[in-house]
Amino acid sequence: MPMTSMSRGRWLAALCLVPFGLVFFAFQIAPLLWVAVHSVQTAEGWSLANFSRILESRFYRQAIRHSLEVSLWSSLFGLLIALLGSYSLHRVESRLRDFVNAFATMTSNFAGVPLAFAFIILLGFNGALTLLLRQIGWIEDFNLYSKTGLIVVYTYFQIPLGVLLLYPAFDALREDWRDAAALLGAPTWRYWLHIGLPVLTPALVGTFVILLANALGAYATVYALTTGNFNIVPIRIAALVAGDINLDPWLASALAMLLVGLMAFITLVHQWLLRRSHHAAR
Amino acid sequence: MSFLVIEGLHKRYGATSVFSDIRCNIERGEFVTLLGPSGCGKSTLLRCVAGLTEVDGGAIRLDGQDLLPLPPQKRGIGMVFQSYALFPNMTVAQNVAFGLRMQKVARAERARRVAEVLALVELTELADRYPQQLSGGQSQRVALARSLVTRPRLLLLDEPLSALDARIRKHLREEIRRIQRELGLTTLFVTHDQEEALTLSDRILLMDAGRIVQDGSAEALYTQPASAFAAGFIGHYNLLDAETASRLLGRPVSGRVAIRPEAIRLGSGPLSGEIRGRSLLGNVIRYRVASRGVELSVDVLNRSAADLLLSGRTVALEIAPEAIRELEG
Amino acid sequence: MRRAESGPARLYHRLVVWALFLILLLPLAGTLLYSLATSWSATVLPSGLTLKWYLALWSDARFLTAFGHSLVVCVGALLLSVLLILPLLFVVHYHFPRLDGLMNVLILLPFAIPPVVSSVGLLQLYAGGPLPLTGTPWILIGCYFTVALPFMYRAISNNLLAINLRDLMDAARVHGASTWQAAFWVVLPNLRKGVVVALFLSFSFLLGEFVFANLLVGTRYETLQVYLNNMRNSSGHFNSALVISYFFFVLVCTWIANHLNRDLP
Repeated sequence: MPMTSMSRGRWLAALCLVPFGLVFFAFQIAPLLWVAVHSVQTAEGWSLANFSRILESRFYRQAIRHSLEVSLWSSLFGLLIALLGSYSLHRVESRLRDFVNAFATMTSNFAGVPLAFAFIILLGFNGALTLLLRQIGWIEDFNLYSKTGLIVVYTYFQIPLGVLLLYPAFDALREDWRDAAALLGAPTWRYWLHIGLPVLTPALVGTFVILLANALGAYATVYALTTGNFNIVPIRIAALVAGDINLDPWLASALAMLLVGLMAFITLVHQWLLRRSHHAAR
Repeated sequence: MSFLVIEGLHKRYGATSVFSDIRCNIERGEFVTLLGPSGCGKSTLLRCVAGLTEVDGGAIRLDGQDLLPLPPQKRGIGMVFQSYALFPNMTVAQNVAFGLRMQKVARAERARRVAEVLALVELTELADRYPQQLSGGQSQRVALARSLVTRPRLLLLDEPLSALDARIRKHLREEIRRIQRELGLTTLFVTHDQEEALTLSDRILLMDAGRIVQDGSAEALYTQPASAFAAGFIGHYNLLDAETASRLLGRPVSGRVAIRPEAIRLGSGPLSGEIRGRSLLGNVIRYRVASRGVELSVDVLNRSAADLLLSGRTVALEIAPEAIRELEG
Repeated sequence: MRRAESGPARLYHRLVVWALFLILLLPLAGTLLYSLATSWSATVLPSGLTLKWYLALWSDARFLTAFGHSLVVCVGALLLSVLLILPLLFVVHYHFPRLDGLMNVLILLPFAIPPVVSSVGLLQLYAGGPLPLTGTPWILIGCYFTVALPFMYRAISNNLLAINLRDLMDAARVHGASTWQAAFWVVLPNLRKGVVVALFLSFSFLLGEFVFANLLVGTRYETLQVYLNNMRNSSGHFNSALVISYFFFVLVCTWIANHLNRDLP
């Protein structure tokens, strides 16, 4: 059957997809497949030994615990600050709003190594802010390189992302709901409790999930801040493939799959919550 | 003393005055319409009565109580919005019950009153639906039910029918009037539609550029517009300036003159005119008739097709003298 | 219509927004001050101001090389992006619209899979064997391509939807252009602004990438962020000048992108 010019065009078009497919496969899919396959292998062959090693080791369990704690708290605080900030951004005049919005977008680029250094300057052992706060008497001694310090730094880079995601959600809140609620006897806090927050909840949960994923996978900030000395999952993974000792790419793969699995689990919970609220509201 | 008293109310946004020196008295159980073109300040006035917008001066008293220091939560006023403002995360029943929850009414009593008011607006079967699943007319009825269930002393309606299509609008406005009469509820209704105002109200307050320019019954407003603006806004008056009017009527006239189109009789009379054209408005035919260099609108009941007058025909006409209204301003 | 706020509410909102601004500004301001300070240790404020750190930085050969390396890799990745994504998007939107759904899922992968995880596989796959890419800029270009992919794809995709690709193509072809000519002479110019904006934004994002650069290449092809990390033990003032210079560069790129965005039809 002779090829019409149409289907020949389509074949040529499909050919255009090939280079993209190759590069995407080589640098995104293939590594992922490698990690998935080798997570259930050890030097001896196929087994689940990697996962049992991780789950039985106090050291690795601590890394997982640290990852969860830092991510959860920084996402929570970041969400809260972004929530209050976005709400107020919505209510101020346009010049101030546009300026701060643009500034937030720009500071979302300020993450990783530069951010770690900036925080060391401010809140390190001899940091300017540490000294100031110590003088005022607000803090006794603050260790930036501890879990608490990490939560502070992580919260910082979660804020711009949170603001970017939450700000448009407030467009869904209509002014006349507020008016109607007021006339029906609801003070401001009851408006938020019964109407405002419930309407915002899908956006809030969605943002929280994205912030969580963002924090769980973060490597540069904690590496630069603690020179790779803090026990947290991304550091552990990197240490197992690029460190000086104890190279074990299979264990690293297992740990990586755990991380990805965790993120997938959180996303699934989010989708399930969304579907439930959809049934309710739609 | 009147039920709702508004005195010397004024409000400005920056340098612009929204309304100034508003005064009116509204009796208990009255249905009063605030009528006027867009931007005349009627919606803002309503919002000030509700407490949603601050006023810059004056007084509002409801049943003797000074309203201005009270927040909207405490004024005992119900309001229906043009955009319905139904809470999207609650069912119809929950929306309606909201005000009762705020008043801490017990659950059983709440359910009973919600059912009662839903029956009043004929929406009992939709109690478990969400606002997104309702049509415009249904939404507005829910909004009405929600504002009535708390037994407010005053009901405010801010152009509640403007977002609905014509058929539903007519049906709903009759329902609103029926319910209002049944409950004896003092009502303030804002609209820019003069037909709505004329059919629904006990009294109309006509507003223009922030002032009340006429206050009276629908009948009075229609037959005796106080000014050129009123005549231009209500009905389809023929508005003539002094010179044209004198020419037409054959006598000196001091100010502008308004003549209702149905007050001009065709077929007999001392004047004579030529039919310039006509439009069919259903039960009324509106002719354009030129007489003594003046073009007039004349409305005639559409009794039969045989009576239709053709363009170009000369016809005698008579203007009832009591229908000639001389205006100030 | 934004309701006019009452006095105390207005004040509260302005305070919150200013507080937000200050929180975000603080680390930057601190770094800026540090980069301009003669010395600043164990005191709340620096002792003096100077530009010497910047002069030292911009005359440092290693810095300039690192900066150059970063530019090469980022520009290379973006070039690759344009070469691969533009035809891809065109083909998907014009010939295979049902693929768009699949594509939207695929471009989630760079977000869903943290770079650390990909690095595990990348190091094993390309350390030796048939394709020894680790330690060369090529692997970075490939990885940065996947990083920029979601931004580039979404931006150009939205742009294509806005210009109504089918109608444009049909109009061009009715006038006698072949598909390729139509794509090149008619569609592309309409995409130019959107592509350029996406490029600038992706560029500023890529400049800050550290994970792939450090794990896959490290000092063998030192990029800006890796250099920054490696200089951690030198003077904090020097590092601050470095950070501020980098951020200033990012600022300029974002500003250009915003400026161009505003002119968009």
